[in-house]
Amino acid sequence: MVPVQERTPLIAMRGIGKRFGGVTALDDVDLEVQAGEVLAIVGDNGAGKSTLIKILTGVYRPTSGTMTMAGEPLLLNGHSDAIDRGIDAVYQSLALADHLTPAANLFLGSELTRRVLGVTLLDNRRMRREAERVLQERLGVRLRSMDVPTSSLSGGQRQAVAIARAVYNSELKVLVMDEPTAALGPQETARTLKLIQAVRDQGIAVIVISHSLDDVFAVSDRIQVMRRGRRAGIVRTSESDITSVLGMIVGAADRNAA
Amino acid sequence: MSDTSAAPATGHASGEPDALAAGPTTRERLDRYVALIGPMAMIAAVLLLMAILEPARYFRLSNFDIILKDAALYMPMAMAMTLVICTRGIDLSIGSVAALTAIIMAYMVKSFGFPWWVAVPLAISLGALCGLVNGLIITRLKVPDLIGTLAMDLAYRGFALVLAKGVVLSRFPEEIVAIGRGEIPGFVAIPVVIGLSTLLLGYVIYTRTRLGRYALAIGSNPEAAELTGIPVDRYKIYVYVLMGAMAGLAGVMLAGKLNAVQATSAPFFNLHVIAAVVVGGTSLFGGRGSIVGSLAGVLLLSMMINALVTLRIEFFWQSVASGAVIIASVAFYTWLQKSDRDGGGSLGSKFASPEARRTLRLIATLFAITGALFLLGWLFAGETTAVR
Repeated sequence: MVPVQERTPLIAMRGIGKRFGGVTALDDVDLEVQAGEVLAIVGDNGAGKSTLIKILTGVYRPTSGTMTMAGEPLLLNGHSDAIDRGIDAVYQSLALADHLTPAANLFLGSELTRRVLGVTLLDNRRMRREAERVLQERLGVRLRSMDVPTSSLSGGQRQAVAIARAVYNSELKVLVMDEPTAALGPQETARTLKLIQAVRDQGIAVIVISHSLDDVFAVSDRIQVMRRGRRAGIVRTSESDITSVLGMIVGAADRNAA
Repeated sequence: MSDTSAAPATGHASGEPDALAAGPTTRERLDRYVALIGPMAMIAAVLLLMAILEPARYFRLSNFDIILKDAALYMPMAMAMTLVICTRGIDLSIGSVAALTAIIMAYMVKSFGFPWWVAVPLAISLGALCGLVNGLIITRLKVPDLIGTLAMDLAYRGFALVLAKGVVLSRFPEEIVAIGRGEIPGFVAIPVVIGLSTLLLGYVIYTRTRLGRYALAIGSNPEAAELTGIPVDRYKIYVYVLMGAMAGLAGVMLAGKLNAVQATSAPFFNLHVIAAVVVGGTSLFGGRGSIVGSLAGVLLLSMMINALVTLRIEFFWQSVASGAVIIASVAFYTWLQKSDRDGGGSLGSKFASPEARRTLRLIATLFAITGALFLLGWLFAGETTAVR
């Protein structure tokens, strides 16, 4: 279904290393992701998942290694640089201001404005309309109400608002999601997995970090296993099973790569 | 907004009916006006009380004029304080800022012959500078706002005392007096116009500008604000600069109103303004505020103080009443928030737990000890010397 090796990957990270002082967090790690696929990254705590992702989103700079985007060299100076290049992240905390409306959250930091008598004012009406449209058209989500504090929405709907914020950027090519289902119940988890698929179906590469192998197998196309700062394996989800991935995570079955 | 389950899915992830009721609940619709319920109820209570006790002297147009003029002084500061508190901040230095800027303005006018139209903007921009210093101390030196502005309150007051010594500066140009107590024939007084204008400006800032939106976002979730690329420190500084400027304006209004100013003027501006804002439903925990509520809060405090004066109750009871109103309103809002989640139990159930019984025992013990000491003192009482 998803040709992996034939095409030039949208993102390719090669030989990435990262040291913090004397501690080696990442050692010679590769990562490839194609447009329109969900790549899951799994591994134990401290395996280097978050560090790898923070390098991709421009938060950290790698100590060694190179990155390319559609074959072109990719150099990132900070997180905002990554957003400009179409790489954004949805954090586990969702980074929502709970007292504000969904629309205010969706446009937080990049508000739509209009000028009235030479003064720049917020265009609240247009933001509300646009937010409703993006949620509906891009994610197929209709919020309970656009006029309530975001805190009063369900976990899945809050997740949708956070994802919509990234998706609203029409240049978005890669969406990184850190533990998207960690704090959700079963029903909300199912909805969030559907949201991830909705984003993927729009040709966006989605990278999901998760501890839940059930969720990973439900949503991903490929799984990259990290262990002790190295890539312990990479498998196609359809050709693998939880037991063998679990084996790679704990280091029982080495070289089980696809 | 229509029902979720009725809408066919046009996207990929929808389709499942939402178990929750569509649209905001009645409670949520009311929630927006909660900021007004508290002060309005208390204003109604004051009016009712005065209608019973002193209708003739309280319900006079001239008396409401007095109330408005008193409230006007606090309106600019209440506007800015609403934004400060929305960011989870606080500014305890505004009384000293007002005194300091008014003293400097008075010196510039009286000793250096500055025209009033330079001296007044100068006072406001000096206030803004004080606010800038506060903002920099909080954001750059990472001093918590409570301690930082408390310390600067001492410092600004000290500067004012150094400048003015014990002198009362009085008799200003009539334009400055007009700012403080000028009348517009057939209309409300000039300070009331100024105060209401600043609140209107505040309303626009609060609902229609990045400054207002970011103030709320910062107060609601500082980490999220940072992650979404909001320059958090810069916007915090803006808010304190606005606060300082409004304190400077209040200094001018106070100097004009009394036609005099001294270094010890405006001692309780900070607590009065914070009280008005908090009574008006702005949350001390940030992220939630109301300019209209602050207006109601300012009016309530002025009406209450005026009522105490009308009833010829001793002046010092004012602070007792202000304290009681603050506690009552904050407790009320906290109770509202809490009943959101667990519905709250009856009063009786609150005393049922062993923990509550221990607290009750402590209360009883303390009362008993204090009472016993009074009794002991009375039993062994010797010669008395009159206190007054």
